Amino acid sequence: MQQGELLEGQCFSLEELAQSCGVAPRWVQERVEAGVLRVDTASGDWRFDSVCVVRARRLLQLETTFDADPQLAALTADLIEELMALRRRLAALEAG
Amino acid sequence: MEFKDYYKILGVQRSATDDEIKKAYRKGARKYHPDVSKAADAHERMAEINEAHQVLSDPERRAAYDSLGSAPPGAGAHEFRPPPNWDAGFEFSDADAGAADAGYSDFFEQLFGRAARGQGRARGGFDGFAEAPAGPQRGADHHAKIELDLLDAYHGAQRAIRLRSAHLDAQGRIVNDEHELHVSIPKGVREGQHIRLAGRGSPGHAGGAAGDLLLEVLFRPDPRWRAEGRDVHQRLALAPWEAMLGGSVQVSTPGGEAQVNVPAGSSPGRKLRLKGRGIPGSGTQPAGDLYLDIDVVLPAADGDAARAAYGQMAKAFPNFNARSGRAGV
Repeated sequence: MQQGELLEGQCFSLEELAQSCGVAPRWVQERVEAGVLRVDTASGDWRFDSVCVVRARRLLQLETTFDADPQLAALTADLIEELMALRRRLAALEAG
Repeated sequence: MEFKDYYKILGVQRSATDDEIKKAYRKGARKYHPDVSKAADAHERMAEINEAHQVLSDPERRAAYDSLGSAPPGAGAHEFRPPPNWDAGFEFSDADAGAADAGYSDFFEQLFGRAARGQGRARGGFDGFAEAPAGPQRGADHHAKIELDLLDAYHGAQRAIRLRSAHLDAQGRIVNDEHELHVSIPKGVREGQHIRLAGRGSPGHAGGAAGDLLLEVLFRPDPRWRAEGRDVHQRLALAPWEAMLGGSVQVSTPGGEAQVNVPAGSSPGRKLRLKGRGIPGSGTQPAGDLYLDIDVVLPAADGDAARAAYGQMAKAFPNFNARSGRAGV
């Protein structure tokens, strides 16, 4: 039985996030500077929470599949995230 | 193994140009995007489309695939075997050793196993993707989703996960392995959070550490409650007199039975907060709250006594207009 480690808070450095997504740190850096990935700088270093992994991978998939501009990929990712949240709420309302 | 007609999967002719293949791939990727599509088999269709694109967008792989022709006439779709040395003379863009990404069909793994692992390397040609450094290299992380019940977040859980990995045989071909991993899920987990299983990703290279398996947590939809972060929302059905007169009611919450004081005059839509009764805290993160969304359930007027009671109410509220903006006032 392997104990899973719950990833809390800002658990990824720039390099760790890039490594986990299979991209160069520069790719992440450019998307932070473009405002499409959220970073925490409170500690002086760039730190990312684990939700950023999902968003970064989604952006990467959209950019590569559709040769999309990062801002267009981010717009699409925003809409996907909102769609998923609304679908969850709708399911809860329908169940209630 | 089943023969995969990649041209049919993308809906293009065998004579399709690179541009036509790219357009067909994007059309399919939009239609079956796993986060958006409502098709029950969207994940499988997307995997097929990705796989077809992997082969047909690469001139070397496409040429090798084309040399196979199509499924032999008369043979069942599941009986396809590539001829011996079918790929002689073709040189795929090979990659480092290690487990293949999961999600490819047996057909693809059998034919292009080594090249499949080249996916990450192929990205090297695209500006911004990681280049493999010389020397020890950490294995790639694997990503998967795990569906839990909300109650698992309250109590912790143990789950068995089926994982697919691969190793190289003596001929350098990919051989798929499937194994079950038993995982202990810590309590306090919330939706969207990740659970890391250290060392369960791809093996490292040249002495590098293995990557991790990152499990993204999803909660199975449950009509009783839904989570937002660590806060949990639950419907609290009340009789009209419980809502208007207030009192103590017993409620089954994810954390167990709770006695809740309902304030008098609680109207539908009002929320009662039970502090700290949401998903338990973990590490430095505090527990969430439980919100009870009040709903008023009317008893049916299905007998003389019930009808009389509603008649009494009508007399008691002569000025009540349910369709006015200030109903009940």
